[in-house]
Amino acid sequence: MKLNTMAAVMTHVSKLETESAAYYEKLAGRFSGLAGLLEAWAKENRRFEKNIRQTYYGVITDTLESNYAFEGLDTDEFDVALTEPADEAQAKAAMRKVEAGIRGFYLKAAAMSEGLMADVPRVLKKIAGVRAERIEEL
Amino acid sequence: MAKKLKNYINGEWVDSASADVRDILNPATGELLSQVPMSTRDETNAAVEAAAKAYPEWRNTPPVARSRFLHRMIPLLEERFNELSQVQTREHGKTIDESRGESRRAIEMMETASGIPSLMQGNLLEDIASGIDEYSVNQPMGVFSCIAPFNFPLMVPLWFLPFAIACGNTFVVKSSPRTPMSQVELFKAFDEANLPPGVVNLVSGDVDSADALMTHPKMEGVTFVGSTPVARAVYKKCGDMGKRVIAQGGAKNYVVIMPDAMIDQAMVSLVASFYGNAGQRCLAASNLIVLGDDKFHREFVDKFTRMAQAIKVGNGLDESVQMGPLQNKASKERVVGYIEKGLAEGAKLTLDGRQVRIDPSLSPDCFLMPSVFENVSPDMTIAREEIFGPVASVLRAGSLDEAIDIIHANPYGNAASIFTQNGKAARRFQHDVVAGNVGVNIGIVAPMSFFPFGGRKDSFFGVVHGQGRDVIRFFTEPKVVITRWF
Repeated sequence: MKLNTMAAVMTHVSKLETESAAYYEKLAGRFSGLAGLLEAWAKENRRFEKNIRQTYYGVITDTLESNYAFEGLDTDEFDVALTEPADEAQAKAAMRKVEAGIRGFYLKAAAMSEGLMADVPRVLKKIAGVRAERIEEL
Repeated sequence: MAKKLKNYINGEWVDSASADVRDILNPATGELLSQVPMSTRDETNAAVEAAAKAYPEWRNTPPVARSRFLHRMIPLLEERFNELSQVQTREHGKTIDESRGESRRAIEMMETASGIPSLMQGNLLEDIASGIDEYSVNQPMGVFSCIAPFNFPLMVPLWFLPFAIACGNTFVVKSSPRTPMSQVELFKAFDEANLPPGVVNLVSGDVDSADALMTHPKMEGVTFVGSTPVARAVYKKCGDMGKRVIAQGGAKNYVVIMPDAMIDQAMVSLVASFYGNAGQRCLAASNLIVLGDDKFHREFVDKFTRMAQAIKVGNGLDESVQMGPLQNKASKERVVGYIEKGLAEGAKLTLDGRQVRIDPSLSPDCFLMPSVFENVSPDMTIAREEIFGPVASVLRAGSLDEAIDIIHANPYGNAASIFTQNGKAARRFQHDVVAGNVGVNIGIVAPMSFFPFGGRKDSFFGVVHGQGRDVIRFFTEPKVVITRWF
């Protein structure tokens, strides 16, 4: 799906964080060895969503220009498939893929809006950084 | 049956008895949203009387306590952020991000005005003569009002209202008869904040209500934002009645592109300026003066036109939409009239916005696509008059001097911008151009709530501007006290 406006990007961000949080909660119920990590990530994802949304609302006047900043931002470039793993190893691989997909999307969105806005690219990059740490942790 | 909007007078929601009731339609869909009564003179006068009655007690409420009412409003508006924004989009047509931007600016006004204990302080000088001290205090005056425009139905009254009541005055808003619903939503928050009855009042209405506000003997001052002919009339009327007035009028904003401008970076800013809010913004760019040789000119204009052509037009609630409809059918017809005048006077229409391409489920009545005119000369109607729609006119100039001369020949002076990497040219431009708001590599020169907002020449009638410290002066009267103790 191609996105063009800040509002559309933010709706997609919301979707990524809330759906991945629900996914991690579901996996936590299936894989007890990962439960602690998954529950913590799910909680953190919901906080990320809130944090990004509040940042966006806080600098929304800047986005009048950003209505035109995202031409060509295609969500299909970033694979965030929420698969059904059979064991813990597959679950870890799936988590890595989700984190990498979200991270890639955030970095591209941040780069495309960097010249126009301050806070939203900053928060996206910060959360992308956390995701890099998560991938490392896995 | 659509809901009929009520007035908010003396802390109560009251029905208007007016027989003149108008439909409020969603310009994108044609859906009937509500009905708005054009309040009678008596009803408007009742709002002023309620404000006058509330004034003595409110004036004696300490500034810190008045500030806390505004602080209480901020979370109430944050809670309603999306709902308020959606109402603006539905009644006006602007995109949801434009409405959210307007909501954010509205809240910023509350935040800035809540600093009133610092903002309205006076001055003191000891020993102006031996043992004699002199000080000045800034005192509130009474009842003020705002006659609101349609294009920023939530934000514009808040350029004034929070500052007025923070200073200790009381206030009456007359909402736009075209977009009254946003103010109703705002006043629901005021109601929840438990402001004392009469401190803020809302009436819907048209010319009669506006006239009642301007002529009521207990009205101290009027603020207005709208077209230049009406702003001039408001200024004259308030002058005749001995009232303070801030009357912000129309605009014809220029953007100058220097040959060294960073084209790619400039383009997004320019497109947002020309076509944001479908051009219905007093800070919208309208005339584009491109300097440089033929090659640069062609390259720049082609790129701008391609980007304008790619703008997605539709229902502002659809997040992929970048430009909504005009606010009503008459606005569209007016803009179409200007496009026809441009053609008749010899300008070249390189992008014809009359060829509307929108989702077939929408009502086409109010939609236009972006238009671009080339070969425009400064004397053409489309270059001189305010179009207030999504139309860009491209002019040429041989030098910065010539560009500034063209700008100065226009009667308006609201905003002007230059795009350049040359500091000397930018400095010259910001120093010389007669406009209230000047941008350097900025397309929409919208002052923040803590800076004054107002134009020059035919774009503004008054002395001090809205927002910031200027408007504190408007809403207060200085009193000098000289003391000596024997």
